[in-house]
Amino acid sequence: MSRIRWNILLALVALVGAAWIWVNRLPDAGAAAVSAAGLPPAPAIGHPAPDFTLVDVAGEPVTLTALRGQPVVLNFWATWCPPCRAELPELQAASERLRGQVAIIGVNQVEAAERVRSFAADLALTFTMPLDERGQVSRAYNVRSLPTTFFIDRNGVIRRIQSGALTEATLAQALESVYP
Amino acid sequence: MFPVLQIGPLAIQTYPLALLLAGWAALAIAARGAQRQGLDGDHLYNLGLYGFLAGVVAARIGHVITYWSSYRGQLLEIFGFNTQAFLLWPGLAAGLLVAGWYVRRHRLPLARVLDAAAPGVLVGVAIAGVGALLAGRFPGAAADLPWSVDLWGVRRHPSQLYEAAAALVAAAFAARAQRGGARPGAAALIALLGYGLGRWLLEPFRAESAVILGGLRLAQVLGLAASLAALWGLARQRMAHLTPSGSSSPEVSARTSGEGDGG
Repeated sequence: MSRIRWNILLALVALVGAAWIWVNRLPDAGAAAVSAAGLPPAPAIGHPAPDFTLVDVAGEPVTLTALRGQPVVLNFWATWCPPCRAELPELQAASERLRGQVAIIGVNQVEAAERVRSFAADLALTFTMPLDERGQVSRAYNVRSLPTTFFIDRNGVIRRIQSGALTEATLAQALESVYP
Repeated sequence: MFPVLQIGPLAIQTYPLALLLAGWAALAIAARGAQRQGLDGDHLYNLGLYGFLAGVVAARIGHVITYWSSYRGQLLEIFGFNTQAFLLWPGLAAGLLVAGWYVRRHRLPLARVLDAAAPGVLVGVAIAGVGALLAGRFPGAAADLPWSVDLWGVRRHPSQLYEAAAALVAAAFAARAQRGGARPGAAALIALLGYGLGRWLLEPFRAESAVILGGLRLAQVLGLAASLAALWGLARQRMAHLTPSGSSSPEVSARTSGEGDGG
């Protein structure tokens, strides 16, 4: 191929390339919440978080959608799970630091209220702990390993999913997705 | 989808497993490619290992610096075995830097090293793509087609497989150039061209993309830029080769086929 042909080829690729990029541009940020509106609730990034109502250790009902307008950190845990035990104090610290700004919710997986209450008292945990006594919420969120944490934005859309224990640093990093 | 493989009491996360497999395949194929290029295959394994180690360390350092206020009270966390506490970009940069240092230190011919590595890296990309589909990562855009996959109640493009297939096609062209005795660097440029075109063409089939400047998809822009750069490089190679005098026939035929396929 001659120099001219190469130049024509380059120009053509650039032109067609730019056109395809332009055709496939996305509406700018902010429209993300709108695009999630058409999706069914699912335990997946970009989908609305599946709603639930459970009773917490204090006997109060907790409904996820009632927290709309506020970012939610939805953590699944159990007393027998060592990494959960390691991260719960971090969640407690965050709940104190971000009171009124971010809701920290720790769903306990299939354990007796009494056991959860005494465990929480031992570790001085005071954030909201709904009891998933029959495991139906864990199933709805497809929780395969503990701990698993969902970061849900103000509009109720899941923005990040983290499995494994959070440290103060990874919690701070993950929070950026819903509470910049 | 299978984000977690349950083997007896063991729960293994699918995507990290696929990445491990991808890295191993990439290195194994690259080492064989190196031998074909007249290089010592061990150099490729060393490059991979040193690059990886440097990357991990830098990725953690980046995380510590970025979230220093969280580490200050608990310095042991810096050395903690936490697979989440890494930042991608510092790791990638350090990995490349150390690999570059290794190439210089051992006076390896850079173009030949890149040629050797290119097909393997693309096979690794393809394996990672299949893993992403299995794990439900990087979901495709909604579409009701005979070959759509169902994920979270939505039928979608299996965009991960499209990208994997594109990577394999690019790998095949790069491998052909490598075997056909193309000029140093040509196989790597063809790989870059193919991969770039693939990302540029296929990114719109993903449900989510990072965007820049009023909604342009970043991966498309970078893909096109990479393709243009590769194409320009290939053109320069051809020109440099053609201008002095005629050309030795076997090389030209090999390169002509490679270039024609890529473009």
